[in-house]
Amino acid sequence: MDRPIPNGSVVQLKNVTKRIGKRTIIDNLSLDLPEAEVFGFLGPNGSGKTTTIRMMVGLMALTDGDVIIRGHSIRTEYEKAIRHVGAIVENPEMYKYMSGYQNLLHFSRMIPGITRQRIDEVVDLVGLKGRINDKVRTYSLGMRQRLGVAQAIMHKPSLLILDEPTNGLDPAGIRELRDYLRKLAKNEGITVFVSSHLLSEMELMCDRVAIIQAGKLIDVQSVRQAGTANDASAVSTVVFEVDQEEGALQLLQGRFGVKRSEGGLTIEADRDTVAAVNAELVQQGIKVYSIRVLSKTLEDQFLEITGGESVV
Amino acid sequence: MLFDFIQLIRNENMKIYTRVRTWIMLGILVGLVLAIGIIALTMGESPNNWTMMQTESMILFMLVTIFTVVISAESVAGEFTAGTIKLLLIRPWSRSKILLSKYISLLLFALLQAAVLFVFTFAVNAILFGYDGSQAVTQQVLGVNRDIPPLALMLLEYICQIVNLIIVVTMSFMISTVFRSGGLAIGLSLFLLLGGSMITGLLSMLNKAWVDYILFLHMDLTPYISSPTMDIREGVSVSLGFSLGVLAVYYIVFIAVTWYVFKKRDVAA
Ligand SMILES: Nc1ncnc2c1ncn2[C@@H]1O[C@H](COP(=O)(O)OP(=O)(O)O)[C@@H](O)[C@H]1O
Ligand SMILES: [Mg+2]
Repeated sequence: MDRPIPNGSVVQLKNVTKRIGKRTIIDNLSLDLPEAEVFGFLGPNGSGKTTTIRMMVGLMALTDGDVIIRGHSIRTEYEKAIRHVGAIVENPEMYKYMSGYQNLLHFSRMIPGITRQRIDEVVDLVGLKGRINDKVRTYSLGMRQRLGVAQAIMHKPSLLILDEPTNGLDPAGIRELRDYLRKLAKNEGITVFVSSHLLSEMELMCDRVAIIQAGKLIDVQSVRQAGTANDASAVSTVVFEVDQEEGALQLLQGRFGVKRSEGGLTIEADRDTVAAVNAELVQQGIKVYSIRVLSKTLEDQFLEITGGESVV
Repeated sequence: MLFDFIQLIRNENMKIYTRVRTWIMLGILVGLVLAIGIIALTMGESPNNWTMMQTESMILFMLVTIFTVVISAESVAGEFTAGTIKLLLIRPWSRSKILLSKYISLLLFALLQAAVLFVFTFAVNAILFGYDGSQAVTQQVLGVNRDIPPLALMLLEYICQIVNLIIVVTMSFMISTVFRSGGLAIGLSLFLLLGGSMITGLLSMLNKAWVDYILFLHMDLTPYISSPTMDIREGVSVSLGFSLGVLAVYYIVFIAVTWYVFKKRDVAA
């Protein structure tokens, strides 16, 4: 029934555009989401994340372009396309006057093939077993978030969309969510599309991040997970902390883009060069107290790309 | 497929009947029937059971109308106000079918109230004041010039009230869909219903032909039970067919507007 996935993308956004009145809120946004990845969608408040997500799930009509989910157009084959999507758009709003279980039962009835057993399974998975028969009215935000995740994954979607899921969660909750989403992507092969205006979270959570600003897609960056970046030939920015900065600067003058910076001298070099420079400095009687690689964070990249506009 | 659609109706029913207010409404209806009967009894009155049933039904149907407006005005607007509309719509169902399931569950709720009212006004008054089912009652006690037993007359009156109720549900459902705010939808629906029939009373004094097509003049069909025509303004009377035609046009317009707006609307709640 579902068409094969072209080039491994579960979801393709093709020239997605939204205009309301004369304002262009989303401008010609194209993006491919690969299978089994946690894909971040980063942008300042008001940049159009929620609007994009609303169009992806058919809550808003596209002015132009299309969204293809598992080969089905959200415009022309809505029911087939949305079958593969689980989502929380903005806040995890549930029927407050019903219990958590009744809420899940409600949504399970809308998609054929979800058994009671499956409901129990997801209740277990999100850790709501003890409170599932209480009214949602009595839930904390964190619990509502989990119930939201439960309804979103109940039907085993190929794409899980979460709009700013960390809003209102404490650090422990965020860490828990992060581990959980990574597990879903790796073990179940689900593509997770998660939006946020916080860089720090995106770096921790995602394999790749698309950056949006003022409705335009600016860049897609892959996030380096700790420990994977130590490629021998990769050039990085390295800080040397030395006792005689003046002498060291003269010695290295004109080489490796050396410059003085906070906490010492920085050079651009690969691993072997760093070792050689260290030996040279020591030979000249300059004491080296520490050598540190300045890893370029997503934040630096983001600031570079957006020209320094803050995103907190 | 049909089975799957019934699941949607079950959902909507669940949303109506897990709320305490629904049961309070039904409780008030039953309670008032009992209370009115018992008060009449303790005052030493011995009215005819049909007179009691007819009077109570007439009064309590106003309450049923209000309850129906509250529930149907909240039906769509409430989901927008609470934000649950988003989770409701992102399912493999067209918006039309989701809306239809809501509409059907509201009609069922209206019918349930009418049924409860019928059964209780019938049974309570028969128990308290005795039962006289003879055909003579219709003319002599209830004053309706028809050769039918009183029970049949009551059924006819209820059918008229149910037609009225269907129009009420449909109108407040439309307002609910168009205005998306629960409180506003309830307020506006009640205002239109109560204000509408008052203003229409004034308008019908005008001798203008367009007055004949005002919805509120045709919502009460009970006059047709005892007469083939109904006077709607000075010197003008219309037939049942005319009234049903006017109702049908309004009905179709309400339904068309509701479905069109719901299907087209961007959900940005
Ligand atoms: N229904 C709407 N009508 C007009 N403008 C809107 C509407 N919804 C959102 N916007 C505007 O679109 C922009 C993007 O909003 P949104 O998608 O909510 O951003 P984000 O989720 O990234 O914070 C904002 O400038 C917002 O004011
Ligand atoms: Mg947003």
